[in-house]
Amino acid sequence: MFSKFFYTLKDKGLDVSLSEWLTLQDALDQGLCNSSLTEFYYVARMILVKSETEFDKFDMAFDEVFKGIQSENEVSKNMMRWLDKPDMQEVFEEIRHEMNQEVIQVDKEDVENTFKERLRDQNEEHNGGSHWIGTMGKTSFGNLGGNMGGIRVGGTTGYQSAFQVVGARKYRDFRNDKVLDNRQFQMALRKLRQFSSKLDIPETELDINGTVDATCSNGGCLQIVMEKPRKNAVKLLLLMDSGGTMIPYTTLLNELFHSVYKSNHYKDVKTYFFHNCIYSNLYKTPECENGDWIETEWMFRNLDSDYKVIIVGDAAMAPEELYSASGNYRGPNGGLSGMEWLQLMKRHYKRIVWLNPKMAPGHAPWREAETAIKGMFPMFKLTVDGLNQAMIKLMVNR
Amino acid sequence: MSGQNNNFSSTSDYVASEQLLASVNVAIALQKPLLVKGEPGTGKTMLAQAVANSLGKKLIIWNIKSTTKAQDGLYMYDTIQRLYDGQFGEEGVNDIARYIKLGKLGEAFDSEEQVILLIDEIDKADLEFPNDLLWELDQMEFYIHETKRTVKAKQRPIVIITSNAEKELPDAFLRRCIFHYIDFPDQTLMEEIVRTHYPDVEDKLLKDAMEAFYWIRSMKDIRKKPSTSELIDWINALQIGGIPTDKLRSELPFIGVVVKKDEDLETVKNRREF
Repeated sequence: MFSKFFYTLKDKGLDVSLSEWLTLQDALDQGLCNSSLTEFYYVARMILVKSETEFDKFDMAFDEVFKGIQSENEVSKNMMRWLDKPDMQEVFEEIRHEMNQEVIQVDKEDVENTFKERLRDQNEEHNGGSHWIGTMGKTSFGNLGGNMGGIRVGGTTGYQSAFQVVGARKYRDFRNDKVLDNRQFQMALRKLRQFSSKLDIPETELDINGTVDATCSNGGCLQIVMEKPRKNAVKLLLLMDSGGTMIPYTTLLNELFHSVYKSNHYKDVKTYFFHNCIYSNLYKTPECENGDWIETEWMFRNLDSDYKVIIVGDAAMAPEELYSASGNYRGPNGGLSGMEWLQLMKRHYKRIVWLNPKMAPGHAPWREAETAIKGMFPMFKLTVDGLNQAMIKLMVNR
Repeated sequence: MSGQNNNFSSTSDYVASEQLLASVNVAIALQKPLLVKGEPGTGKTMLAQAVANSLGKKLIIWNIKSTTKAQDGLYMYDTIQRLYDGQFGEEGVNDIARYIKLGKLGEAFDSEEQVILLIDEIDKADLEFPNDLLWELDQMEFYIHETKRTVKAKQRPIVIITSNAEKELPDAFLRRCIFHYIDFPDQTLMEEIVRTHYPDVEDKLLKDAMEAFYWIRSMKDIRKKPSTSELIDWINALQIGGIPTDKLRSELPFIGVVVKKDEDLETVKNRREF
């Protein structure tokens, strides 16, 4: 009788399985909810939801089904279709340029309230106006708009100027198919292994051949021989771009960072941070404070070429940050350009992959730095798939 | 299952919220493991003890470490002991069962009476660990190959599992559990919790200590938020130390009991009121 609730939960992105649903029916049959809506709420939640981070989705679904309250700020499918105009991007480029000569200050709350109002009233498509939600317009909301501070509705974040991304496609993906599950990352990182028994660990496994041999030479009296278990010998060096253009990817990077540390099956893991590009110093913390660093040359001396290197960064540098010997505006350059430091990296370490959270699909010559780095290191997009491919690349010979 | 007397309620030394009580009772009624998550120090482990006390049942604790394998919980076959015994012709070497030692899960299944089984900090173990226990927790039985014996739960144990959320648990495992997230207690519940530990605590001391405690917790830049158990220790220390309560907020005596990290100590000391 609650099947509507079941589908609403699914709609809200909760992965409720049939067996959990049947468990709830069982609970109802046993009268565990005492015919009270509040108790039903808790019983349903404890059976159907398995993470406190998803309580919110559950609340929304519950609200919708049992109180009939529509959540505000919902962007309808129709409206998304009006706004979805990727082909207009280039035409728009020029318009935007003209429009943003003067920066207009906007009040966030004002924009939000007006947005809600229009959301209620609007019933047709608008392009290029200054009142409704539409594309290429001057209002503070809509897609492909020239206004630098407002609410973006749908589309991809091109200029990162809208302070609130309502219904942006990428967040919907996060919720529904959980592309970036920590667990999936860990499973991908598992691919990185190379077993060896030549490590310095206690002998805890029975060596059968050795035991038979020793027992024979002991005149048939049992003599047990133990050996070291085979352990992963992979050493990992993780270099992460931090701050600036990487800020939108903080959650994703955290996820990766934690996966690397939790998988604890590597012989050694070292992590350093850099800003924009690798120069003469690498920072010990993501804050990239001057002084709290190691010299890149020290790393070359102390971390031998066996380390498998994963560099994570968006490779979105200005050309001078990559090619000029004084292109590092945050710290010292050590007399070499970013490019030359990267070449040193490539010469020293046998296996390097570059993971890029916002890699341009295919050939993208306008991203000069990205293209240059792609030419040096195998570059993969930072998704579960990309990570899988990168791990394979790290294991096989070039 | 004897439904009517299996009803958990707060005990004299453990105060549980209404929702937690409901979760425990639903889990018992539906015969599903109860998965408890929450900040460290919110009494996840103590819950099992309290349930055991309240229902008057024996508690079996299986502490999970990073090296624990699912097999460890079922049984161990001490082959080496048997080999050595065989060398010297010890009595009963033929009887493999002598060398089979049941693990904690096996012990819980084999018990004549219904027991509470606590699987503590399941997220510490390897990624695959929870999946390896699916069958055993579902069917409440396992098979010992060496002796061809099936160990089946005589009385289905009440299973409580705790997790600190260090690792994501597999979906297949989660689907079989009843889930409860222990919220950090609010001031009223916290007062009740402290009073169950120290019934004759001075009102003024308790009020000031709790104020200071929630004030520290509210700091955004604190690395490790103090938990319930730290507040309880602190109040104990304050009682023993006999500190005049008017100095509590300005001097924060024994604050090391509450705040454990050096950086956090600095932060707290810099902000206290004089």
